[in-house]
Amino acid sequence: MTDDDGRHDDRHDDRHDDGRHDDGGDAALRGRLRAADPALSLPPADPGRVARLLEETMDTDRSPAAPATAEEPPTRETGTRGRNPLTWLVAAAAVLLIAGAAVFGLVGRDHTTTTTTTGHPPVAGGPGAGTGSTGTTGTVTELNAPAASAYHARCMVPTAAALAQQTLAFDGTVRSITDHVVTLVPTHFYAGDATDVVEVAAPHGSLDPLLTAIRFQQGQRYLVSASNGTVTICGFSAPWSRGLATLYTRAFEGK
Amino acid sequence: MDEQTRRARFEEIAPALIEPLRRFLARRTDAATAEDVLAETLLVCWRRVAELPERPLPWAYAVARNCLANAERGARRQQRLAARIAVVDPPAAVQPGPGERDGAGRDAEVVEALGRLREQDAELLRLWAWEQLGAAEIATVLDLTPNAAGIRLHRARQRLREELRKSDLPAGHDGVQEGRAP
Repeated sequence: MTDDDGRHDDRHDDRHDDGRHDDGGDAALRGRLRAADPALSLPPADPGRVARLLEETMDTDRSPAAPATAEEPPTRETGTRGRNPLTWLVAAAAVLLIAGAAVFGLVGRDHTTTTTTTGHPPVAGGPGAGTGSTGTTGTVTELNAPAASAYHARCMVPTAAALAQQTLAFDGTVRSITDHVVTLVPTHFYAGDATDVVEVAAPHGSLDPLLTAIRFQQGQRYLVSASNGTVTICGFSAPWSRGLATLYTRAFEGK
Repeated sequence: MDEQTRRARFEEIAPALIEPLRRFLARRTDAATAEDVLAETLLVCWRRVAELPERPLPWAYAVARNCLANAERGARRQQRLAARIAVVDPPAAVQPGPGERDGAGRDAEVVEALGRLREQDAELLRLWAWEQLGAAEIATVLDLTPNAAGIRLHRARQRLREELRKSDLPAGHDGVQEGRAP
């Protein structure tokens, strides 16, 4: 379907629209436009690079549970290689805006997100202990999943600077996942007040997008960050990795 | 569709998409963004491999358009200047390749005329002339009915011709005249 410069040959389709009208004129016009094609001098892609690109594409998204409806731009793990610094800069700001908007959305809807078990606000970085005794389960930090729009946002690779803006950050293991709540047992808090348990709920919708975005699985270890009581996605919260752990350490050292 | 089948299908389809998508993006944005958006577009194709139509290219162009629009929206939000550079400074227009009509030597006129059209018209013409799509495929890319695409394409061509006629009118339009000598 393509010739050597990647053009795709389907002139037959032109019959629908060209045949009726001034055929020669259209052909001439098209030829003239074609001569002004900015990609005319673009050399074909190096086959090695193409192969690598395909491999990377398939590797970025191994999970068979990935939503088949993903028209949305990928999350950070999925399409972020080889970007130039400007892209990151731009994306960084976008992420902050989006996070802000998501939080705004939540707050704006006037849902009180009080901690049922403790009576404290869910933001662990808040004033006071932010924790309370709950008998059997100990202290709980309650977090919300981001608003739906956040999942369609364009992402960046987290930087220490962006991460440092988060009011809560911890290293923990998923204890359980129910229809509505992911429960994590934190082992270390980088930021925010330490509690025995962290619960992430999606009061405004399904938990599924969050599970997909962060790939929460029972028994796995994660680095999770949040601000204003909302988990930050876009790779800020992700399965534990040495690289991300280093970033967390850098972001919150001295705090 | 199991993982194995997905991979096989993607590996069968995707290689033929890459080159046209690269060109599609190179025509519309700067190199860095093009590379980014190409990766994103492929990823969407990979995730939705089960939905790929028999002729996947127009569909893939539609995805690329969305990804590009997202990228540029993000860029605009943050830094209007960066977005403008990406939009205003596409790859330089080049010499006609071998076998291409050399358009009386002056591509700039076409480029300028194209630039004066409404964006929808210009995009229709780009898809028609550069991506070499027919009306039915343009309809897929732009989410129109084939009939509407055909009609709009016809009108867009007429508008472009008018613009070209206009720029032809001032005879000897050789660029210096714009300063209007006293």
